[in-house]
Amino acid sequence: MSQSSQQQQKTIVTVLKCLKCSYTIERPFKEGDFIPKIDGTCPNDGSPLYIWAIYAKPLVEKK
Amino acid sequence: MINLLAYAQGANQINNSYYLLFLIFYMIITILFFMPGFQQKMYIYFIARDIENGLAKIENFSQNAKKKTIDLLKKSGAKNPDDLAEKFAEWFVIDPVNIEPTDIINRMKLLIRTSEDKIRQIIMLSLPNLDPVTRSKIEVSAEILNALNTIYKVVRHYLLLGKKLQSYYILLQLQSIVPMLIKMAESYEKAQDVFIKGIPVGDSLGPLVASRFLMNINEKWSPSREMIAGEMEFEGRKLIVVKAEGPMATVGRPGEAVENIINKLEGKVSRIITVDAASKLEGEQTGSIAEGVGVAMGDPGPEKIAIERIAAKYSIPIDAIIVKMSMEEAITEMPKEVYEASEKVVEMVKQIIRERTKPGDTVILVGVGNTCGVAQ
Repeated sequence: MSQSSQQQQKTIVTVLKCLKCSYTIERPFKEGDFIPKIDGTCPNDGSPLYIWAIYAKPLVEKK
Repeated sequence: MINLLAYAQGANQINNSYYLLFLIFYMIITILFFMPGFQQKMYIYFIARDIENGLAKIENFSQNAKKKTIDLLKKSGAKNPDDLAEKFAEWFVIDPVNIEPTDIINRMKLLIRTSEDKIRQIIMLSLPNLDPVTRSKIEVSAEILNALNTIYKVVRHYLLLGKKLQSYYILLQLQSIVPMLIKMAESYEKAQDVFIKGIPVGDSLGPLVASRFLMNINEKWSPSREMIAGEMEFEGRKLIVVKAEGPMATVGRPGEAVENIINKLEGKVSRIITVDAASKLEGEQTGSIAEGVGVAMGDPGPEKIAIERIAAKYSIPIDAIIVKMSMEEAITEMPKEVYEASEKVVEMVKQIIRERTKPGDTVILVGVGNTCGVAQ
């Protein structure tokens, strides 16, 4: 696979965020995810983790 | 020796025959090229071949969209998915008469809304217990299928017409736009998968910005169909935030929503801020932000004019913030650059409120766009 086609390939990520301590975690997108759905709790303070963002990230980040 | 001489003579005769055939062929081609219309026929043949290749790609996109719509209908429990898909593919709306422009907006609004209602009615008749999110996915699939089918049929029409009339100029014009139509059709086909999965698209930028404010508001209401609004205090100002109701794939009726809110407040609004995704020009960066004046909205007319009219009635200034992206990025998965821009736009909105309004004022923030995958 050429480098340019690798750069065009994207993966969809869901970013979860704790609004209290700003703890952030990223995982692959699952059907049913939406912003700002509560999905789990923060491992630091037990506050709800919100789906903060869902976006397409290139598999090979541009330099 | 005699045999060898005979063989050499034979070979010479064959060479002469080939030479003669080549000469005749060359003469025929030369004569044909000087005959009136032959060159044009050759051009027509090659252009038509090129368009046919493009048309085959568009047909493939259209067929895939139909298959995905049928699968979605089957999965939702529809008994007649093929008939429904066929109905969506052939659906049409006749443009209002424009040689008499008086009241064209109201006529256009009526036609657009009647079409939306009718499509929804067709879906709900077949699937009465459908949830709003799945219904919105079917509605978007129907729109995409309809658009792809229309592109395919229009290109096919001009190709066949050009060939029938042997018109070089019809085919030449068609050939020049077919690559753009292929790109557009490809984007539509990709978009269908994204909407079916419920992933936010680039156009969800406006609703995402509005959602950042609305998620802190408990009491929300619906100012018009498929719209949501909430009121909060921001540094002494009353901020009313409006967006389409998510996470369904809908743009709602933002114009009507803003009009209703301002009428309810009897025009006591200091500023309207609109945020939307905008098409970038080639060479511009995805996610670049620009600020201006006016209603940032890619609407055919009725919703945008509703905000302009009510703002003009009460002399309310309108600000516009746009985030640039390509047409494909606007209807497929939100690029990372657009998400990053949304965070900056939230801060820009706060800055505009601080700088251009004073405590006690009322400000309306409208997040324009398709709210697929973005609730409130």
